[in-house]
Amino acid sequence: MPTFKLDGKDIPFSPGETIIGAAHKEGIEIPHYCWHPGLSIAANCRMCLVEVMPAANQRAMMLDILEWDAASGEYKPQRKPKLQPACQMAAVEGMDVRADSSEHVKQARKGVQEFLLLNHPVDCPICDQAGECKLQDYWLEHGQYEKRMRDEPVHKPKATVFGETIVYDAERCVMCTRCIRFMDEVAKDPVLDMRERGNLKEVIVAPGRQLEGHYTLMTEHVCPVGALTSKDFRFKARVWFLRAAKSVCQGCATGCNAWLDFDPRYNKAYRYRPRDNEQVNKYWMCDEGMLSYAAAHEARVLEASVKGVASTPAHALEGAAKRLASVPQSSIAVVLSAQHSLEDNWAMLELSKLLGAKDVFYTQAADGYEDEILINKDKNSNGRGVRDLSPSAKPFGDLAKSVAAGSIKHVVALGGATPSGDRDAATLGKLDVLITIAAHTSSLTASASVVLPATSWAEHSGTWVNASGLRQVADKAIAPQGASEPAYKLVADLARALGLEVSWTKLKEIRAALGASDPAPDVRSTTLTQAV
Amino acid sequence: MAQAFPKKPSQPTNAAIVVYTEDTFATRSYLPAIATGLATSMQHFFENAREMIRGQRPDPITEPFAEGITTVSYPEQKRHYPERFRGVHRLTQRDDGSPRCVACLCCSTACPAQCIFIEPGEYAEGDKRRGYERFPVRFVIDELRCIFCGFCVEACPCDAIRMDTGAHAAPYDSREQFIYDKDTLLSFANRAGEQLSENPRHEPGDASHPGLSRDNVH
Amino acid sequence: MTVSQLIWAIVKIAIMVGFVFNMAAVLTWFDRRGGAAIQDRVGPNRAVFKIFGKEFRLAGMLHPAADGLKFFTKEFFMPPRADKLLFRLAPILSMVPVLALVAVIPFGDTLCTSDLWHASKGGVLGYIFPAVPRYGVCAIAHVQGSTVFPVDLLVAPLDVGVLYVFAMAGQGIVGAAIAGWASDNKFSLMGALRAASQMVSYEVAMGISLIGAMMIYGTVRLDEMVRWQGEHTWGIFAQPLAFIVFYTAATAENKRIPFDLPEAESELVSGYFTEYSGMSFGMFYFAEYMEIITVAMLTTTIFLGGYNLPFLHRDGLTIAFGDNVLLHQSMPHIWVTIFQVHAFFAKVLGLCFLHAVIRWSLPRFRYDQLMKLGWRVLLPLSLANVVVTGVVYMAIAKGGASLWNGLDVVAQSTQALVAFVLTVATLRLVVGFLRKRTHERLIVGSAGKMAAAAGGTPVTPMQA
Repeated sequence: MPTFKLDGKDIPFSPGETIIGAAHKEGIEIPHYCWHPGLSIAANCRMCLVEVMPAANQRAMMLDILEWDAASGEYKPQRKPKLQPACQMAAVEGMDVRADSSEHVKQARKGVQEFLLLNHPVDCPICDQAGECKLQDYWLEHGQYEKRMRDEPVHKPKATVFGETIVYDAERCVMCTRCIRFMDEVAKDPVLDMRERGNLKEVIVAPGRQLEGHYTLMTEHVCPVGALTSKDFRFKARVWFLRAAKSVCQGCATGCNAWLDFDPRYNKAYRYRPRDNEQVNKYWMCDEGMLSYAAAHEARVLEASVKGVASTPAHALEGAAKRLASVPQSSIAVVLSAQHSLEDNWAMLELSKLLGAKDVFYTQAADGYEDEILINKDKNSNGRGVRDLSPSAKPFGDLAKSVAAGSIKHVVALGGATPSGDRDAATLGKLDVLITIAAHTSSLTASASVVLPATSWAEHSGTWVNASGLRQVADKAIAPQGASEPAYKLVADLARALGLEVSWTKLKEIRAALGASDPAPDVRSTTLTQAV
Repeated sequence: MAQAFPKKPSQPTNAAIVVYTEDTFATRSYLPAIATGLATSMQHFFENAREMIRGQRPDPITEPFAEGITTVSYPEQKRHYPERFRGVHRLTQRDDGSPRCVACLCCSTACPAQCIFIEPGEYAEGDKRRGYERFPVRFVIDELRCIFCGFCVEACPCDAIRMDTGAHAAPYDSREQFIYDKDTLLSFANRAGEQLSENPRHEPGDASHPGLSRDNVH
Repeated sequence: MTVSQLIWAIVKIAIMVGFVFNMAAVLTWFDRRGGAAIQDRVGPNRAVFKIFGKEFRLAGMLHPAADGLKFFTKEFFMPPRADKLLFRLAPILSMVPVLALVAVIPFGDTLCTSDLWHASKGGVLGYIFPAVPRYGVCAIAHVQGSTVFPVDLLVAPLDVGVLYVFAMAGQGIVGAAIAGWASDNKFSLMGALRAASQMVSYEVAMGISLIGAMMIYGTVRLDEMVRWQGEHTWGIFAQPLAFIVFYTAATAENKRIPFDLPEAESELVSGYFTEYSGMSFGMFYFAEYMEIITVAMLTTTIFLGGYNLPFLHRDGLTIAFGDNVLLHQSMPHIWVTIFQVHAFFAKVLGLCFLHAVIRWSLPRFRYDQLMKLGWRVLLPLSLANVVVTGVVYMAIAKGGASLWNGLDVVAQSTQALVAFVLTVATLRLVVGFLRKRTHERLIVGSAGKMAAAAGGTPVTPMQA
């Protein structure tokens, strides 16, 4: 692999790659605003300027400038090398690039910082980007700390509503055009553009349009400053209070990698951010997925209940055991869920083996919208995982038929969406006993005789298999809410209450067993660096 | 306020030379020492009792005599707090009576006791402050948790929170009463009775405030 | 028992129990207010009642009443694993023996009711209530068909006297021990163990210290002891060492500072009543002050001449040294009795005051020091006291009339000394009260200096 030198360090690159891209892959960040690995190159922010030393047989490209000489009190003609934007400059074998080690580059970064901040309102205290803002970071790192302009900054529109999800503040904008390029190139809906020139420049939505579609929140995500803010997160939290956990989006079978940002003080999830993964979602997530973090708190089952009456988990387990005591265990049907983790489903499958159950079913949500970019029509986060785990499991339709025919009277189920939503409750209501271990309310909990509260994906670590068969682990973010406990643990408790002997107590043991029983590739999500 | 402190005394007032007593039977039996102690106690008792009965008690602060009673009868008498005493917080007001606070959460970030809770809100469309500021929908300080370090005052970029009320947290009989909400905090004044702050503030739309519209650019 | 005897018995019980209860309440006030005076504080002054808009604080005297109300309204808390029965029983057990103990304490000389009855037929005041002879017993009279018995001014004239006192005083610890055991709390248990061992250690010295006194008085009946002291000299002069030992041991039995290790706050939270709240705590608290009074009564009876005043006898005032009678003034029996009863209660209150002053003057012992004092100092001292008393007693008994007469003069001199000291102390008190105190101006502390510069403490309602 060819290499070039960046500040004396050898950086490998593939032919055609830019300096900044190659350095980025090596984990070296060259300051930038407009460059994004997933977008085309604009080279308009000038922050990534680097000094490229001339090759041995070439002359340096020099500029004539006038430099203020304080001693003599007048400008003196000077020469300095012409700097190159690292985002646009393709790397060449043996090239000698100076970034941090070049005084000229440092000077240029200071200048660019000062220029970008000339008209900035510096309203960081009320800006949602504060704490993760490139302007702040680079100002601290490379800034020209004294502002030399004594003039009033230019004032531009503030809090312009771009659409259902996005609010725009032109004063904070650095005109990097990342949002415009994203809508153009990734979302394939060129609804954003710029107008005016110079310091009056601003981003606008195409006349008669709104910023809409399935990928609007990504414009906020790519914005390096606080110009674009999402209405959902706006003013909700300061980012320095938030902690991030590696998570996997539960919206569809794509299984986009995400950071789940939560506030440990309030045990509350606040937002998703895409987690870069070349194999799955690259750098992006859809709007529905971005907002699906709210499921950590919405429609949750937080306490055990018996016949719809709230009770303690211990009491509910007792009730479950009592209801199933007089039933031959092999007649109990076990229902897996495409919306629970692989570990939970494995535990449930083990339970069916221990019971000697003849029938194993699985539930999943009905198909929905899909597109070419990220969104899968399968709206279950672990559909592939359940089908791989138990190929013989029958879909919900068969269960509904058996229940209607009266051949199945007793069911133990993992909670999750059913294909027809609430309408399935009527079918399930015919069951004598339905014991549901669920994180979220569904028709399975609505008609259950005993409900045990399980933790959601945000509250315990779990493995999810996406549509392409890739196993991905989501880490625990917030602490379990209410009386909820991990479903695999509740399954074990239920089995013990039924007088069965279970072999698992820890997640580690289940994972070991899963690795043995399932031949699917155990690939933990590969992640690139967090910030782009 | 005049600050005419008395001059420092030339020698420490409470220094005494330690005299060691001989180890005799009298000292070993402790009885003389106990008698002396009881006599001292009784002397104080009778003298103080006389002053209580005759109503000769001096002002405990201006005249704390060598052997006088030095209690401040709190609700009726109040000890002066220094001028820079950090008392109960107050939220300063704007001219229109709304809080100066823009709900930036700098104070709650700086707070080592995590006693400040703020829920920010956005001004409605058409409000002249929309986009420039946000406002606290809820601003709650738990005075029980507060350690009165004053970091919140230091952190505030808007001079919106101050601790110049000169009042200490009053004793209440339930915890809820120590949770001061926005209106309570806004209702406090500093020692001069002022609810505003001396520092000028540019309101969006003021003549002193920079231009607002695209037509009003430089 | 006649009806009149029954009525007298009720009256006597009412006097003693009423005194103990009320003075215990006053002592709780004095312990705080007087302690404040000793320590140059103000003390409790918040409880207030209003009549026609005027506030009365009565120097904090309302605080015991307010405390009592508070105790009754506060929650009765019992630890979940406490012994339900014993936990409730303990406060009662600590309070009842204290009350029972006062039954044998004489608070006045025998009241010759029969003589009063006869006298009421006389004319002038002095003749209405005539004097009774100094020696001899009162006659039992038969008036209009009913028998009139003389009235002993003590609730129960028991022959076992002091022994009953020891029996009852020893019971007080049972309440504390049971409280500590039943509370299911290690602090409580530690407090109870300390209380029990302290009790055992000091009961011994206390009992032996009284043997010398009993030898001299020749009786264990408390009323006889008092009578002996009236005729000769007060016990404190006859048995000074026994007085010190007894008083120390009695303070220790009270569990008062400096012997309050069973409830040492710095070590055991509150000792054996840590888990008690509301009125059950109030009973322990109250029992402590009642014990102070009973101990003061005992000390008065055995060592401070009981109800006797110097030179005041049944027949009136007689100042005499040996055979030289300097002054003899016959006094009506009823007046003598009234003086004596007041003298008794005044002495008791004086000792209570001393108790309070001790509590605010002395620091608490360490536990090993406490044990060392009990076993290695007080016990040998009391034993030595018994031996010395016996030897001296034998020597005096063989001494002959001249020695006895000489001793009589010495005894009467001690009465004169007491009278002199009391007079001087009273005069000193009056003079001291009238004299104006000179103050030395001294402002300590930066806050005080600042306040002084600002012109003192303003008397204004507080803000916020």
